[in-house]
Amino acid sequence: MSWHLTPAQAHEYADHRSDDVTAMSVEAHITGCAPCRALLPTDEEWLARSWADLRDVVDRPRRGAVETLLSSLGVRESTAKLLAATPGLYRAWLLATVAVLTAALLAAHHLPRGSLMFAFSAPIVPLAGVAMAYGRGVDPAHALTSVTPLAGQRLLFLRTCAVLIPALVLCTSAALLLPSTHTPWSAALWLLPALTLVTVSLMLSRWMHLGMASAAVGLLWLVALTALGVFENTTPLQLIAPQTQMWWAAALAAFLTTLLWRVRTA
Amino acid sequence: MKLFRRARRRAPDYGPDSTDAVLLAAVATGRTRALEILHHRHAPWLRTRLRYRCSDTDQVDAALQETFLAVWRNAGSFTPRPGDTDAGAWLWTIAIRQLISQLRKRTNQWIAGGDTDYEVIGDASAEDTVLLNIEHGPLGAALHSLSPELRSAIQATVLDGLTVREAAQILQIPEGTVKTRVMRAKARLREALT
Repeated sequence: MSWHLTPAQAHEYADHRSDDVTAMSVEAHITGCAPCRALLPTDEEWLARSWADLRDVVDRPRRGAVETLLSSLGVRESTAKLLAATPGLYRAWLLATVAVLTAALLAAHHLPRGSLMFAFSAPIVPLAGVAMAYGRGVDPAHALTSVTPLAGQRLLFLRTCAVLIPALVLCTSAALLLPSTHTPWSAALWLLPALTLVTVSLMLSRWMHLGMASAAVGLLWLVALTALGVFENTTPLQLIAPQTQMWWAAALAAFLTTLLWRVRTA
Repeated sequence: MKLFRRARRRAPDYGPDSTDAVLLAAVATGRTRALEILHHRHAPWLRTRLRYRCSDTDQVDAALQETFLAVWRNAGSFTPRPGDTDAGAWLWTIAIRQLISQLRKRTNQWIAGGDTDYEVIGDASAEDTVLLNIEHGPLGAALHSLSPELRSAIQATVLDGLTVREAAQILQIPEGTVKTRVMRAKARLREALT
């Protein structure tokens, strides 16, 4: 550098009093010269205010991809945050689901009648996930959330949705990977039982802990399967046969109506 | 996995006396304190300089705010030139472009092409070297003899490193006019210097 600013020049420049050519020259110089920049007078009050404004924006938590996607779909901001945060609660369940479904797929491909295992375990998977998403003992922040206005049925349903979507996506993709001896239609036979089981456990959660309710419903499903397997003239397959699907649909509709009606009147 | 992520995002050691490059590296890992130091160091002169381009203080302040937000988001894209850790030129590039987009918002004109890829301008070009000696060289006298319109055209395109289109926006004259003014100014200067 051939020259540096004098304090007088710096003040003239800062006060907008230097002529155009000096200003240009000062600007060319201070772009690269830190000591001369420091000569310029600073409005401390403005600086503090400006930083406070900036910090307000910078300190806002960054929004994840899921959250951005949800809010671009029209979901409210708080709801989007809640839905995006829920998977943190059931990461272990997600891993377990993948493991179970992989096992079921392997069985389906290598054992005779192995695809039955998938059909029977698929309805249990979402049930377990829902049990993991709400309530004392599973949610570390339950003591805090339970006293907020959001708690209760609304939170429970939101969390259930957050669980059901990945569960159903996982199960569906597993179903599509089943051996091709099945028709595409039969890959979806597990869906209605799964949804019905979840609805029943949500209904029962009114009277007992959600985990207990899910365990009870899951147990009931297994008992029904074994019972049908033990008797001579029945097979567990009847539980998901196309003929029984109608009954499942009816049950699902009935339970859902009751559930929604309960929420409305509550 | 969490351990790994934390190790990868560890900020370099920094303090109020660190160089701009170190501070920007810390900002890239999400350190607000580093941004505060940078803000404290650079906001005053950027503000003074921007006010020579726009007399509306509110717009200058808004542009500055956007500048530091852009720094917060793009700190990782700063690559210091070897031997020079000062980020002044880089920051100015961002600031002048943010001011232009502020002015554009005001005039309510939508102009396409809002890419936020900031490059350091004024990479010690011949013009720059001359400009650094304006006050004491023959160029000073030559610039003095220019009309204010020609001078502002030279200032926008050479000193601020703007493209013709950007210069047209900040000076609020058509692009063609900027081109002719720069050409005339350069011819005048050449005449005066030879």
